Amino acid sequence: MSPASKSPETRWQRFIRSFLYGLDVDRNVKAKARLGLAIVAFAAIYGVIALRLVMFAQQSNGHGLRRSVGQDAVATARPDILDRNGLILATDIKAPSLFAEPRKLIDVDEAEELLTAVLPDLDAKETRERLSSKRGFVWLKREITPKQQSEIHRLGIPGVGFLTENKRVYPNGPVVSHEIGHVNIDNQGIAGIEKWLDGQGLAALHMAGLATDRLQKPVELALDLRVQFALRDELFAAREQFKAKAASGVVLNVNTGEIVAMVSEPDYDPNNPREANDPTRINRLTTGVYEMGSTFKALTVAMALDSGKAMLASMFDASHPLHYGRFAIHDYEPMHRALSVPEIFTYSSNIGAARMALAVGVPAHHAFLKKMGQLDRLRTELPESAEPIVPKRWGELNTVTIAFGHGLSVAPLQAVMGVAATVNGGLLIPPTFLKRSESEAKALAKQVLKPETSREMRYLMRLNAEKGTATKANVGGYYIGGKTGTAEKVINGRYSKHKLLTDFMAVLPADKPKYLMMIMLDEPQPTPETHGFATAGWNAAPTAAKVISRIAPLLDLEPRFDLPNADQLILAKATTSQ
Amino acid sequence: MRLLNVFVIGALILAAAVVYKIKFDSTLQAERVAKLAGELRRERDAIAALRAEWAKLDTSGRIQGLAERHLALKPMLPTQFDSLDHLPERPPAVATGNDPIGAMLAPAPETTGSVPALVNR
Repeated sequence: MSPASKSPETRWQRFIRSFLYGLDVDRNVKAKARLGLAIVAFAAIYGVIALRLVMFAQQSNGHGLRRSVGQDAVATARPDILDRNGLILATDIKAPSLFAEPRKLIDVDEAEELLTAVLPDLDAKETRERLSSKRGFVWLKREITPKQQSEIHRLGIPGVGFLTENKRVYPNGPVVSHEIGHVNIDNQGIAGIEKWLDGQGLAALHMAGLATDRLQKPVELALDLRVQFALRDELFAAREQFKAKAASGVVLNVNTGEIVAMVSEPDYDPNNPREANDPTRINRLTTGVYEMGSTFKALTVAMALDSGKAMLASMFDASHPLHYGRFAIHDYEPMHRALSVPEIFTYSSNIGAARMALAVGVPAHHAFLKKMGQLDRLRTELPESAEPIVPKRWGELNTVTIAFGHGLSVAPLQAVMGVAATVNGGLLIPPTFLKRSESEAKALAKQVLKPETSREMRYLMRLNAEKGTATKANVGGYYIGGKTGTAEKVINGRYSKHKLLTDFMAVLPADKPKYLMMIMLDEPQPTPETHGFATAGWNAAPTAAKVISRIAPLLDLEPRFDLPNADQLILAKATTSQ
Repeated sequence: MRLLNVFVIGALILAAAVVYKIKFDSTLQAERVAKLAGELRRERDAIAALRAEWAKLDTSGRIQGLAERHLALKPMLPTQFDSLDHLPERPPAVATGNDPIGAMLAPAPETTGSVPALVNR
């Protein structure tokens, strides 16, 4: 193209050209082809680069976020735990933690002195040890206050820094301690629902370091915080009044198996987990096993009625104590005559209950209690559970005593589940701490009793509140039914007359049960107001009455007055529908 | 060919300028995003702390203590509930206008109200 290329070639040049390209090749054509090739190649390269750019632009939106993860959360986030109305039971807040990098530290003594001045509860010796170690990273104090943080920041010690951590807080303190449990300093659940949560895959997330997201879905429990508080408040008062060692209570929805409230007093503050190690503060309802006493008669009577071996009008001889080898079964208030089934239930006759169980037979009794879930460990979401203490060899004497609630120790929650089945139409529903609808419960439930038996049981429960041992629990307007139970505790292998365990099961309302409540007092003492009695009718039943009058409005139970008595409302309906 | 070269060089400069502008803008945006994300995180933490504090102040135990100390209210009794169908009907309106006596003499509008029941209660 330049004028120089037009000038004739020298010999030498022609030689080079023929050597490089061959003799008869037009160089201009060749050059054009090459240029085309180069254009295509470069276009392809730029095309690829452009494409990659687009791909990068689409993928890498996490740039800004990734930067923040490094300084975030060592103790990983946990989901909030809410009650059934959305009130907070457990939540996370951010708290700074103090750490040091000993290798970067210039003056250990000065650092230690300054730090202990701001944090008086810091152990000076231990801090010095940690600071003079050769490690790259040591914790000095976890979870300090923002004020302390700014003070330490102002000291300007090199090699000391802060990390923000998630701290678990329980705003309600001890009110829900036994259900939700608590966590350790690394935010791992070590008891209750918190531990159950870890078992649900949260622990694996922690390991992978992915559980830093605050937006985890909150866990909703079946618990009603207000009911729980009212129950705890009354149990607290009852424990004071009767000077009992412990007081516990459960409110169970009989149609869904949801545990609406559960208190075992004394409890502990999950914000201060050290208290949980005290053995007197265990959850007596799931981790303790007790002989439940006369409340077990509800199961015995239900069994006898369901088997057809007894009807409501059947008579059982209770005129004499029942002798068995060297044992004699007495009644608390002997009637010295034959008793009908309602009489056995309302007078709480041991002899009558024993005779009813014997009429059904030993193997059938064992099979029935097995069916009612009283002989196997009851498992709920709570990791803590206790195995019932079942006699190794189950003879006639065992059947006789178990008929009125001695000789078989079960977890109280288990007994509640069994009694709930006798009043809710005969469905055995495993209790749960999580929300559950009625249809879900139906799918899980097992029909263990005829609905007719259940109706008769409701009649007996109501009758007992009208004119039996449970009259002191009869709060006007709520149509309560109930069964008392008083068990003598075994001290050194003998039944003690003065160390009692009293419990009370209340059905509300008895004609169409929605809730079953149990109150249990451990070693209540007689008081002047109880005229020297310490049986369940004098302490557990009145406590139940106080609780019911407080919680029934919270549970949406409508007070109904001028309802007919049990004979008309429950039993008459039963006979007409037959 | 020369025209093409000039055109390509022009396009190159233009492209470079545009890319620089986009890059500059995107850096700016990224910084803004990071700043907002940090702010969001701080706000969320603050919300969590406030929620926890509210839950603590709202505990039934505290409210009960305050109510007992400062209010004359008593716990509600079952007898204090009633249903809507026990509510008496609205009493007949007092006649107004320029002839009140005449209005009284006129046949009263039919009412099934339970005003006497209200007196009984």
